Amino acid sequence: MNNMLIIAKKELKTYLNSISTYIVFVIFLLISGWYFSALMFKTGKAELRQLFSILHIAYLFFIPALTMGMIAREKASKTIELLATLPLRLKSIIWGKFIAAVGLLTIILLFTSVHLLTVLIIGENIDYGSILSGYLGLLLIGAAYCSIGIFASTLQGNQILAFIIGFVISLFFYILQFIILLIPNAVADFFQFISFDYHLQNFLKGIIDTRDIIYLVSIVIGFLMLAEFILKLHNRLQER
Amino acid sequence: MIEVKNLTRWFDTLKAVDNIAFTINEGEIVGFLGPNGAGKTTTLRMLVGYLQPNAGTVKILNKDINDDPIGIAMNIGYLPEHSPLYDDMIVYDYLAFIADIRHMDMQRFRERLDYVIDKCGLRDVIGQQIQTLSKGYRQRTGLAQAILHDPKVLILDEPTSGLDPNQILEIRELIKELGKEKTVILSSHIMQEVQAVCDRIIIINKGRIIADELKDELGKHISEHTVLTVELEANALDFSTWLASHPEAKMTVISNNGNHWKLEFSYPGDLDLQRDLSQFISAKGWLILSMFRQQHSLEEIFHMLTTNDEELAANEDDAEIEVIQEEESTNNE
Repeated sequence: MNNMLIIAKKELKTYLNSISTYIVFVIFLLISGWYFSALMFKTGKAELRQLFSILHIAYLFFIPALTMGMIAREKASKTIELLATLPLRLKSIIWGKFIAAVGLLTIILLFTSVHLLTVLIIGENIDYGSILSGYLGLLLIGAAYCSIGIFASTLQGNQILAFIIGFVISLFFYILQFIILLIPNAVADFFQFISFDYHLQNFLKGIIDTRDIIYLVSIVIGFLMLAEFILKLHNRLQER
Repeated sequence: MIEVKNLTRWFDTLKAVDNIAFTINEGEIVGFLGPNGAGKTTTLRMLVGYLQPNAGTVKILNKDINDDPIGIAMNIGYLPEHSPLYDDMIVYDYLAFIADIRHMDMQRFRERLDYVIDKCGLRDVIGQQIQTLSKGYRQRTGLAQAILHDPKVLILDEPTSGLDPNQILEIRELIKELGKEKTVILSSHIMQEVQAVCDRIIIINKGRIIADELKDELGKHISEHTVLTVELEANALDFSTWLASHPEAKMTVISNNGNHWKLEFSYPGDLDLQRDLSQFISAKGWLILSMFRQQHSLEEIFHMLTTNDEELAANEDDAEIEVIQEEESTNNE
């Protein structure tokens, strides 16, 4: 078996055996469910767009919480020394953890199909194509946040700090959509393209554009490469 | 087999490892001996490639470790300091995970698992979660991890720390047995341990190698100076004739309580005056309550290896006072 998948398998097993994973899951579902139903009763409409925007906000807390321990815990318990001296490349470690994180994300997205069911039952003018493309978008954006979370987790041996750093970087990519109005037109396009929500909106419209996919995939690759670089640097500069 | 040249490593302004070099041949069991903070762990970490040196090279199995880190890691078994483990895993799962990474197939894993369970005494805890293990079992699990794939080179950082005396003996036996067919490097701050297990001892202090010798040769350094403590009952103590016939020996009275005396004799290590002294005492009709040859602590050996004779003589008095104080404190306990 590929080393990357061995790491992913071990990581998934550890997470699914841990009670804290389920606590995070439940909180995620409760919060997104609460806001979704509150909005639904307030506006009297069950809209897919609402559901997906809420899930996007919930990501900001959920994904850093999920990924904060992935490397930070290895550092805190010194098991990183074990991993780094096994016949493994740092790349396999980072990507293995990333795959595990996306696996957990997929599980939680499957749980949100409860809300989706509500939309399907009471919603109007449902476009099934855009549901599928919307979920693809959610998964890709989630993957991008996962890579940010893993990058944050490599910076520190402290999970809380990893969470905060992950949250702040994620918030930056999320909040861009609101500050576009405040910046000059010349650079607005650029910032709009960087904003994750802009790409999610495209997916929600049912458009699967290669530009969106390429952007999000390069975010993933970029942050995971940075994470690998940080781990390598850590080897060189490591304090006692 | 293992060739280290000019290895240097800084931590900020601290030179943790200072230009050290050594060669280790196949089948040797080499002990790294030094006090805490001497640079043992840093050196071992550079050997396994976990830490990059600021200068110098490490060659293992005739290859620079940076040329083929994965291939070399396949042939090394490494037990890091404090044996880090995944607390939330079961011992079996943990070893299975290591076997996966080491690309062992199921059949080979079964064979080797039986072997390491047997050798490391893991039979009772194989289904237990690692966080519930005692320090000794954690250490053994770490050792099992290191030898699971039957590596050519074993690098063990303080393999017996946290074990009880019986376990220490077992692990030492195991290391000796493994050393028959493998190259083993282990670190320790315990003199007796390195003496019991290793063929060759490298002593490092403040990042420098201060001795690199076969065990027997180092023994000479250690026994350069023998200190014999004698407790006896005598009404009138008089060693002048014995001391006159043995001018190389020195006597110090440590305590005197009525007819109860505690004395210390020091003399060069190549002499064996113990028998002679006890014969003299019994001939005088005094009663020996106890007599023991003092074990040299690592610090004393460091003293001997790092300071010249003049300093040694100057420090001797201090050392004696320390010994007395130590004994007093143990008496109080």
